[in-house]
Amino acid sequence: MTASPFPAGFVQVQTQGFGGFAGPVMGGNNAKGALYLLDIAPQHLNGADRLHGGMMMSLMSIVMGEVAAATAATKDATAKAHALSLNCDFVSAGETGERIEGRAIITRATRSVMFISGTLSVDSRVLMTATGVYAIKGAAE
Amino acid sequence: MTESDVIHPLHKRTPLPASRDVSAPEGFEAQDLHDPFEAHMGPLFERVNADGARVAAFIADERHLDAEGCVHEGMMMTFADALLGGAAWRGSGGKPCVTMSLQASFLSTARLGDVIECRTKVEKQTRSVMFVSASFTVEGEPVMTATSLWKVLGER
Repeated sequence: MTASPFPAGFVQVQTQGFGGFAGPVMGGNNAKGALYLLDIAPQHLNGADRLHGGMMMSLMSIVMGEVAAATAATKDATAKAHALSLNCDFVSAGETGERIEGRAIITRATRSVMFISGTLSVDSRVLMTATGVYAIKGAAE
Repeated sequence: MTESDVIHPLHKRTPLPASRDVSAPEGFEAQDLHDPFEAHMGPLFERVNADGARVAAFIADERHLDAEGCVHEGMMMTFADALLGGAAWRGSGGKPCVTMSLQASFLSTARLGDVIECRTKVEKQTRSVMFVSASFTVEGEPVMTATSLWKVLGER
């Protein structure tokens, strides 16, 4: 399978440090809203040639972290979000060459906390579902 | 049953080199890594205490950090997946196990140069499922706790 180009307007997110070294994860928007993409490459695999569970959770934490940060910034441009808890369920395996689509939605946002749920899928096959609780720091308290 | 029956064939392969040379913390040795993603993020270290307890560790470098300079949740959960998976594999007598679910609570943040240690515990095992928890510390201070469920492949 050869990698197809990413959709117009998609740019790499979290380019520095872990996000850049583990990724690249691309982010953009389509008709259904914010969407994040990762093409599974050889360095992302486990010893059984499937997507490593740690990389799957890493992608989920990047997707949910981006959505959390964007939501926190709508309340206060200087506000930051950080994860208090992540709960990841491994629904199916990922194979090299597959393009993963990641999405997350805010279930509820209070002044100081956000509840987020996320999904990773390849076409119609779900790889992972997750929920996260994020703290909002720096917003007017 | 012979020793070769209980060792998963994956773990007989030649270990993969970590993508970076890092000296082991005092008292630790580099773990054999067989998963490309762990070699990409590693090395990972391990020591076995006199009482048989295993302690795993990694040293946070710039590959592991987020934009705020804290160790990224993804790296912490990758370390968790590697170590809790190792505990599930040993606990099941060397049968291959895959992650079904992993929950992590982030109690504090680790930073550049920190040695993050992990201590695992098999809470319960059935024929087909392993329940494994772990605590993660930096200089004795807790930074993360994790609980997880593993499917023992080939068992119902």
